[in-house]
Amino acid sequence: MSKKITIDGRELVFEQDKTLLQVARENGIYIPSLCYHEKTGPASKCRVCVVEVDGMKGLQTSCSVAAKEGMVVRTDTETVREAQRMVVNLLLSNGNHNCLSCECNGRCELQDAAYFLGIERPPFIIEERQERDSSGAFILRDAEKCIECGRCIEGCNRLVVNEVLDFGYRGGHTKVICDEDAPMGESTCVQCGECVQMCPVGALIENKYIGVARAWETKTVRTTCPYCGVGCQLDLHVKGDQIVRVTGTEGAHPNQGHLCVKGRFGYDFIYSNERLTTPLIREGENFREASWDEALDLVAGKFKQIIKESGPDAIAGVSCARSINEDSYNMQKLFRAVIGTNNIDHCART
Amino acid sequence: MKTTERDAKIQELIGKYPKKESAILPVLQFLQKEEGNTLTREAIEEAAQKLDCSTSKVYGIATYYTLFNTKPVGKYHLQVDTCVPGFLHGADAIVDHIAKKLGIKRGETTKDGLFTLSTVQDLGSCATGPVIQVNDRYFENMTIEKTDQLLEGLKKGNWPENDTSMKVVSQCGILINDRTQKDCRALAFYKKNGGYQSFEKALGMKPEDIVAEVKAAEIRGRGGAGFPAGTKWSFLPKNDPRPVYLICNADEGEPGTFKDRQIMEYNPHLLIEGIAVSAHALKAAKAFIYIRGEFGWIADILETAIGEAKDAGYLKHVDIVVHRGAGSYVCGDETAQIESLEGKRGNPRVKPPFPANSGLYGCPTVVNNVETLSCVPYIIKNGAAGFKKIGVPNNFGPKIFGVSGHVKAPGIFEYPMGTPLKEILDAAGGVKGKMKGVIVGGLSVPILTAKEAEGLVLDYDSCAKAGTALGSGGIIVVNDTVSIPELALRTIEFYHHESCGQCVPCRRGSLTIESKLRDIVAGRGQSEDIDLILSLCKNIKGLTLCPTGEAFAAPVQAMVAKFRPEFEALVKR
Ligand SMILES: Cc1cc2nc3c(=O)[nH]c(=O)nc-3n(C[C@H](O)[C@H](O)[C@H](O)COP(=O)(O)O)c2cc1C
Ligand code: SF4
Ligand code: FES
Repeated sequence: MSKKITIDGRELVFEQDKTLLQVARENGIYIPSLCYHEKTGPASKCRVCVVEVDGMKGLQTSCSVAAKEGMVVRTDTETVREAQRMVVNLLLSNGNHNCLSCECNGRCELQDAAYFLGIERPPFIIEERQERDSSGAFILRDAEKCIECGRCIEGCNRLVVNEVLDFGYRGGHTKVICDEDAPMGESTCVQCGECVQMCPVGALIENKYIGVARAWETKTVRTTCPYCGVGCQLDLHVKGDQIVRVTGTEGAHPNQGHLCVKGRFGYDFIYSNERLTTPLIREGENFREASWDEALDLVAGKFKQIIKESGPDAIAGVSCARSINEDSYNMQKLFRAVIGTNNIDHCART
Repeated sequence: MKTTERDAKIQELIGKYPKKESAILPVLQFLQKEEGNTLTREAIEEAAQKLDCSTSKVYGIATYYTLFNTKPVGKYHLQVDTCVPGFLHGADAIVDHIAKKLGIKRGETTKDGLFTLSTVQDLGSCATGPVIQVNDRYFENMTIEKTDQLLEGLKKGNWPENDTSMKVVSQCGILINDRTQKDCRALAFYKKNGGYQSFEKALGMKPEDIVAEVKAAEIRGRGGAGFPAGTKWSFLPKNDPRPVYLICNADEGEPGTFKDRQIMEYNPHLLIEGIAVSAHALKAAKAFIYIRGEFGWIADILETAIGEAKDAGYLKHVDIVVHRGAGSYVCGDETAQIESLEGKRGNPRVKPPFPANSGLYGCPTVVNNVETLSCVPYIIKNGAAGFKKIGVPNNFGPKIFGVSGHVKAPGIFEYPMGTPLKEILDAAGGVKGKMKGVIVGGLSVPILTAKEAEGLVLDYDSCAKAGTALGSGGIIVVNDTVSIPELALRTIEFYHHESCGQCVPCRRGSLTIESKLRDIVAGRGQSEDIDLILSLCKNIKGLTLCPTGEAFAAPVQAMVAKFRPEFEALVKR
């Protein structure tokens, strides 16, 4: 049953079990938020999503307060704005959020909040320097941009259950750690990149993306991952005709945005000079280019010869995990019905 | 220790808890001891493996709690408490003296590996400061001379006696016993003075009737918030199949507060009887005493007393586990304490849900302060009416006030609620010098100027009316030799050090205020910095996830607002 709520004077209809932030978002009302992500739920840590609710004392975090029939909510009072500006200023005050050079310029939740609140530059700076961790094969960690929202940690532990990341230390020294605060590249991290996808700012970025494109220069193309039979949904971020970045499609089956290291980072093979474009036939130590007809004739002829000499069980087939179900089905059909052997397997099983 | 013994010990620790992960602090404490006072990488891996959790989780915990050393320390770790009470009692001079004598700076270790010097935040020894904690032992009432003796002794491997002396006055005689008696901790001593009679009486009562009696006594929680205990108890869901847990909050971490340890250290059976009666009333079969890790020897005293009570048959209905914290003030917050007991970092939880509905392991849980639970036996024995003969309306019962700072005889004072501040200060020998201000409820409450404190009566309502709070009843007196900007800096240093770091206004707000106050105290500050601090304090209040934000914003704001000229005088023109 739908219910009614008033936000900033607008009467809105909402469904059961929604938070104030969700109702506002669905109705195009922007409330800055940083630690909330729909996959990890409310964390109530950044305190930037605050609103005023009639009858409730003090500011409320809209990400965690459930919408209730008849609530009257204001997202735009001076008290709210003052609190929000303070939170964003406190985060910007380490002086390291340099949008000019940041890969996330244009797709940063902190930048969105600062822009919305009219913050041009942080009014106070508390200098702080931290090393970047570039030891990961695909992921760069920039602790200076980290806002300790914990979304990467939740993603790592609760969503993909790799259990590599956690918070270490305390208070102003709190930071995201891998294992025993090891460099990412020396840790048990498998570089699945879920953390990158969960990061609201530029603290976790894809190595390969650095200096390649700005958010507004790319368009996204949705596709299915070619690596295995799961069929994960991908968004290819394409600049011109080049893929520059891959993210998992949020809210889509079967992967809900999660990807493995291959699906997320293994896209550049398509631009490799070493990629084969014609069949090659071995002659002595070397290969020579051939046409498809010639190559297939050769293989078929050799198969026939082996069957004649040694019987069909002298041949075995391994189907590739990157092929779709229908192709794998046809492969086993070819082996059983045409070649006449049960020697057929699939590489994902071996 | 042999591997098999080591494994057995770990399994024994795990066995004390309903869930494995809860043993994480005890296991790390045990391993740290085994490894010579350092938590090695191997020990962390071992704990992770034994407790089935990730290495990052264990490392995150090891670096959250300050009593774990992930980096090696010297054989004797000299930890001087330089927080506000320690500072007022002259701890800085002790630190400087040790530094000079050993030729090391704070945080450094002598070349021979014998001594590490650290300054630490509040050790809960406020009236007996300066205090030095050496490994897990306290040395109170330190002077330069005694420090020299301590160092000389340690060099030879000798531990001197600790001097715990301070003024002790108990007008009510309910919570504080006669500690001059050698056997004051023993069951026999306690029973001789009427101990466990209340428990015998309670056994004959229906649990609901005990709850009703405590409710009628209108006892307000002594942990700081002053919430009526009986009302809290009655929030437990009725006819719920889940187990109920009782947690006794013995974290006592707020600077100026050292009252709970007076009960636990000298009168442990009073608390145990309180827990026994309360557990019967709440139908809790398991109770925890969460005691701050620094009070290791007090935890031992409690365990001994629990053993005695068990043998005497008083604890058939409840299993009491003494759980040692590991160095975190925020774990005094009830939801952080629950998280910590579940084997996590001590990050407070978002409320609702409240612990009564979903606390430890998601089960109904009551968290009460040591002093609150220690009042329960008196209430049951004398009835609500008897209890209400002590104190003033809406603020009944006895209260332990701790007085530290600039008084002639710092100490501990058990008086009825509603006693005038002046009477307590007189009992503490009067103010040393001229009073500049007084903090009456632990460091988290706004300071009162000497003028504002005139005629103040110590109860929750009167303190609130005076623009401050009774809090934990930790009274810190500040005389006119003290620079308030320096006091404010010490205050924020404590909270920044203790902030769990979860939410932005507290984590970065305390860091920013600390940095600005440090600039001001060092003469590098600007006039705008004062306004920035005030505006941060104003906005932080009420914005944080737990009350810690308010706990530093309110006192710092009061110090700056009430003594602004002192800050102005330090900034650049
Ligand atoms: C940061 C923080 C620290 C606290 N420390 C303590 C403490 O050391 N001891 C205590 O009893 N209560 C402490 N409290 C209050 C507890 O959350 C809780 O209210 C109390 O233990 C309830 O017991 P009571 O009702 O008997 O007072 C603290 C609260 C906060 C927010
Ligand atoms: S206010 Fe926030 S950061 Fe501070 S202790 Fe509470 S939860 Fe942690
Ligand atoms: S988004 Fe609500 S507190 Fe961070």
